[in-house]
Amino acid sequence: MTALLEARNLVATMPAETGSARVLDGISLVLDPGEVVDITGPSGSGKTTLLRALARLLPGATGTLLLDGVPAEKIVSQHWRASVALLPQKPAIAAGDVRANLLLAWSLRVRRLHARPSDAALNAALARVHLDDIALDRDAVRLSVGQAARIALLRVLLTEPRVLLLDEPDAALDDASADAVSVLTRDFVAGGGAVMRVRHHRADGLADRRLLLSGGDLVVAQEMTQ
Amino acid sequence: MTSAAGGVIPIGPWQLALATLFVVFVGIVSLRLSLGITKDLAIATVRTYVQLLALGFILRWVFGINSVWLVLGLLVLMVLMASRILIQRSPDAPKGIFASAFVSMALTGFIVTFAVTGVIVQVKPWYLPQYVIPLAGMVIGNSMNGIALSLERVFADLDLRDNEVLALTALGATPWEASHGAIRLALRAGLIPTINSMAAAGIVFIPGMMAGQILAGADPVTATGYQIVVMLMVAAATALGSVVALMLTYHRRFTGDGVFLEKGFRQ
Repeated sequence: MTALLEARNLVATMPAETGSARVLDGISLVLDPGEVVDITGPSGSGKTTLLRALARLLPGATGTLLLDGVPAEKIVSQHWRASVALLPQKPAIAAGDVRANLLLAWSLRVRRLHARPSDAALNAALARVHLDDIALDRDAVRLSVGQAARIALLRVLLTEPRVLLLDEPDAALDDASADAVSVLTRDFVAGGGAVMRVRHHRADGLADRRLLLSGGDLVVAQEMTQ
Repeated sequence: MTSAAGGVIPIGPWQLALATLFVVFVGIVSLRLSLGITKDLAIATVRTYVQLLALGFILRWVFGINSVWLVLGLLVLMVLMASRILIQRSPDAPKGIFASAFVSMALTGFIVTFAVTGVIVQVKPWYLPQYVIPLAGMVIGNSMNGIALSLERVFADLDLRDNEVLALTALGATPWEASHGAIRLALRAGLIPTINSMAAAGIVFIPGMMAGQILAGADPVTATGYQIVVMLMVAAATALGSVVALMLTYHRRFTGDGVFLEKGFRQ
């Protein structure tokens, strides 16, 4: 079986107080279809940097990336990012209503050939993360932090990427909403996708592997909880 | 004190001295009250004398020679100076945009100036310095302000919304798509002063060019025609120049792979 996403020898350096530090020091990893991998590590260890490198969103990163065995150089970066979708840690809500935010990706050229989801589909998606009470024409500025985090997640999920890179998707959520996000994540991998998560919430039993990022290297953190 | 043929009463050394006396008076008051503006006022007064007298003598010389190369050379010099000032006024813009600033200033300066002198006013010969140089000065000076505002605004705004730019890029946006919101706002910001002065013209103030022509004895309605042409062309030049400058520069904040260079990733 071909790996869905493969990284070989990822290197990234960041400017630090003393010269520059290697945040990613030759990391290699494989994500298979249907797999959920959690990344742990102390803050500042480079978890966000790793996710950005995998999404080809890290200036100056080097190494080899493959999607379905196809090297990254053969895939236009915008198409790569549409397939290997990063959900940044800070939810960025654009000006406009909730509908415009959920459909943000459909305003882009990379999705011009894709049909946009209907209002019914958007409402169904909102209901899955306990946001049934949010009207699609509500001004997105008036969303709470937790609501915005879930809208930002749905915005990525609706584009049906192959790989999801979630940077603390439930950090701003209460337990019930975090559980709803876990259910969405589970359904996503059941459909053949793969997920890499950075999260601090209590283990939700979804992760097939937990890896520890420390000193620029990835090691197996602990064996499966289930 | 005799009235000149054109209707202008000439200002001689005595009149200049009298005007300077007013500034000296203000300077003395400021000294007495320790307002701390005496030095700035003195420097500004000297600069006004030196720069405007130099301009007057240079223009007299240029008008006398009436050479097409001299006129074009002066225009290039004006555009060069304007590009330098423009970059100084946009500290948030990336380094190395002088060529882009020059191209946008030169494009708008030349196109709009010669559209007015050649097509609208139809001066003969087409480079007649009495028309081309003052009009070019107004176009270049005003569009420089607008372009500087747009450039400063777009890069400050991109930094302010780097979260949104990252989220858009992560969804597959190109640099153009990720910056579009900031570019729109920057264009508006650059045009607002021009639009404001168009809205207030004739109600709140008599625009400078019209005031000058009326003082020179021109019929107010004739002066109005010129003023309208000037205001419209300044608006056009500012909009055109800002669009060109933004299009030539926004992508410099992105990598070749289309990733926005946040502050931490810049050299």
